[in-house]
Amino acid sequence: MNGMEVKAKLVEGTAILYPGAYLNQLRGEVIEHRCQALLDQGVRRLVINFAETELINSIGISILLGVIETVNAANGTLLISNLNESNRELFEMLGLLSHLCIEETEERALAKFHSCA
Amino acid sequence: MQILSHLTDDEFFDREKVAAQLYSLASRCKSAQVHSLVSPHPEADSGRRERQNGRALNALLLGAPRTGKTELLRKTFDRLFADSDDLAPIYFTFRSYGVNVERFARDYFSQFFAQFLAFRLNDRTLLALAGEALSSLTQNTSSEDYFWVRNLVDSFIKAEQENDPLTMLRLALNAPIIAASQTRVVPFIMLDNFHLLAAGAGQPGDDAARQLLFTEFIRAFTLQDSIAIKTGADCVISPGYVLCGLRRVLVEMMPADEGVFERLELIRLEPLAEEPLEQMIRATANNLGVEISDSTAELMIQQLNRDIFYTRSMLDAAAAAGVRLKSFMEFERLYTEEILRGRVSHYLDAVMREVAADSRLRRAAIEALVLVMDSHSAVPIDAVMERISAFTADAEKLLLRMHARELVEINFGFVQAAADTVLADYVQARYRNEIAGARRPLAGEELLGEKLKHSYKLMMSRYNRSVEMQLIELLSRYDFQAVPTVLLDDAEYEKLYRRMSRVQARQSLEEDTARVRLPQMVLVDDLGRGDLANASWRMFAAKGFEGGIYSEANETLWLIALINSREPLDEDAVQHIDARLEAASRNLRIGNQTKTVRWYISKEGFAPLAKKPLQELKAHRSTYTQLDLLHDFLLKSAAKAGQSRSVNEVELIIPIEDEAELIAVRTVEQIARAADFDKESINQIKTALIEACINAAEHSDSPDRKIYHRFAIENDRLVISVSNKGKTFGWMNSANGNVESSETAKGTRGRGLKIIRGLMDEVHFERTDDGATLVMTKLLKSSDSQ
Repeated sequence: MNGMEVKAKLVEGTAILYPGAYLNQLRGEVIEHRCQALLDQGVRRLVINFAETELINSIGISILLGVIETVNAANGTLLISNLNESNRELFEMLGLLSHLCIEETEERALAKFHSCA
Repeated sequence: MQILSHLTDDEFFDREKVAAQLYSLASRCKSAQVHSLVSPHPEADSGRRERQNGRALNALLLGAPRTGKTELLRKTFDRLFADSDDLAPIYFTFRSYGVNVERFARDYFSQFFAQFLAFRLNDRTLLALAGEALSSLTQNTSSEDYFWVRNLVDSFIKAEQENDPLTMLRLALNAPIIAASQTRVVPFIMLDNFHLLAAGAGQPGDDAARQLLFTEFIRAFTLQDSIAIKTGADCVISPGYVLCGLRRVLVEMMPADEGVFERLELIRLEPLAEEPLEQMIRATANNLGVEISDSTAELMIQQLNRDIFYTRSMLDAAAAAGVRLKSFMEFERLYTEEILRGRVSHYLDAVMREVAADSRLRRAAIEALVLVMDSHSAVPIDAVMERISAFTADAEKLLLRMHARELVEINFGFVQAAADTVLADYVQARYRNEIAGARRPLAGEELLGEKLKHSYKLMMSRYNRSVEMQLIELLSRYDFQAVPTVLLDDAEYEKLYRRMSRVQARQSLEEDTARVRLPQMVLVDDLGRGDLANASWRMFAAKGFEGGIYSEANETLWLIALINSREPLDEDAVQHIDARLEAASRNLRIGNQTKTVRWYISKEGFAPLAKKPLQELKAHRSTYTQLDLLHDFLLKSAAKAGQSRSVNEVELIIPIEDEAELIAVRTVEQIARAADFDKESINQIKTALIEACINAAEHSDSPDRKIYHRFAIENDRLVISVSNKGKTFGWMNSANGNVESSETAKGTRGRGLKIIRGLMDEVHFERTDDGATLVMTKLLKSSDSQ
């Protein structure tokens, strides 16, 4: 009955997470836990695909920044992909683009990881 | 069209149902005539006539003082005058000039003809004929009506010259039936202030004359058909009468006569409901150019007891003085002025003069009112009479007049104060200043301080009352319905539904198969209320039947505690409240086999230790959220009350809970799209609104746990107001009201306001007495810039 499921998959050692239509505190916390669990399992390459994400709120952003710090601290890499115009504008307005590694599509993000491997 | 009415249509609210009853009554008078004219079967006619006699063609319009009865009659007059061809509206108000048969007969006769002829010729200017010589009636009539009008007028003048008041009276009272039989236009006669004909009404004038008038009126109501036949009419024509006035006197005036009651319908006019009253306040304030706020509109509704006269007086006074009513202080300052020196004060002075003609009697009336108001409960009538006997030899008569005027209520030998806080403030002020002889302060008024203290409490109690009303309504709709068990079990709800949004919870509840069947309640009793340091509660008893069979074995009694607390209810509080509930229920009359069920509803739920005693009691346990969902579940089929807001303005209230802000986002999306905002702007508006909701919810300490939205399209812009009833908004400095970014528990989360400011064109806060409003504006881009 819990509606806060976050889809995820593992492709050749890279975890891809899909936050859903609205990244808020609830979904942010679910992503935070999933990322921590993946890091605990030894996964160091993560992609968050925002293709289905229509809205992101400020709490979701805070949690996302916390996740990036956690991944960096664990010597991992987190890429953001499929960010729509509105959400890109939001990150830009808050001066966060420099803190994020953004790729146009999920495929490009995966390709970037594989070329580094 | 406004002929007699004082209010415009946009200031006249929520009276459609009663107006329709009056129309139905009027059209029955008309159909009585039509039936007989068209029927080809005279033998069937006599049977129809019998049935017709059994149907009510007269009515008593009953309502508390100042509920707008007179305006309703005037509006009915205006509408019939404009819309009807064969129903002539007649409005007559009795005056307190003292009853004199000749004077009344002349007044009634000339009023009737002036209004009837104005209707016949569709010329409202003829209404002024009532004040002119009777011969002017004949001069202004049409050739079609000339002879019968002339005959009647001449007969009346002759009776007047012969000093024959009884003939004058009968001609006046029979004029409607004669007019109807001559013209086939049926008079619909509305008689206002009819209570002034009651014997011993305390009005000046001759009681014998009053009795004669009343008897003749009753004769006119009951003998309409036979008069019609005597006048040679070829059909049954029955003018309808609506009697209006002080309700307690009117009902006592009616004689124990089957003929009267057979033809009498009771039409009740209740005080305006809160929603239409709020609309009326906004419309009137707008028309008068008085600025008000949401909070003061609500305060006006609560403090003025939904009284139309008091409310209009306040708004008129604000307009006359050119003051705003945007804060509690502004409202209470004007209220104090009204009570002490304004129109309300003068009106209540006049009411007091009406019940107590001289100063000693008025002193007695004030003393009696102070006694019953201070006691906060019913006082034996003997005690009241003893208190005022020093000022009047006939205390009982005075009290009866006060009862008739609804200043007090007398029941079974006890006197109780009227539920009218404005009257109470007036009486206390009069007593303090004129009887106790209190010194006038150098500046300000004691009443102002009292009302300011009271106003915040009043608004808070309103939230509690609305939950109580919701519970009572919900109980009355149980009706053996099966509802999800989880709604009566907070632990189960916490486990399964806690992380769901309300929309998700509603959907899941539909699919939840674990159900419990509710009884059908036939009675809800108030068992009182109580307070502890951190909780206040109200107790109810609901009696009903289980299983759909109305037998003693199926009788059930629900003992309910509705608890408003800041924290989850602890064990001690549960035991304390249960002892009170148990004690209160001892006085209830219940059968031996009646099954007792306890239901605890706590705003913030229950502490872990409190659950054990409640489990031992096998009590149902719910939170306010569950109560809300149960209410939604039971009422989901009920039609939503229609919104009468302007098409350019939408209001939305959402609960403070996870993801409820998405409801607001979807709403604003539709509105912005309809207003031609581009996709980029719509996304910006949505994101800004999300941030506004988060902050309204997060910092508000809101007592009703709701966020109020208003979306208004104004020419080239969308204005969004987001309000809460809490102490402040997230970014609002509580000391100075300024907008400030703040750091929060989530570290870098001072971003909300930055986002809103970055995405919207204008942003500002408005502080209200019981909360705050964030107003955001987005301008529509011109087509050049798009």
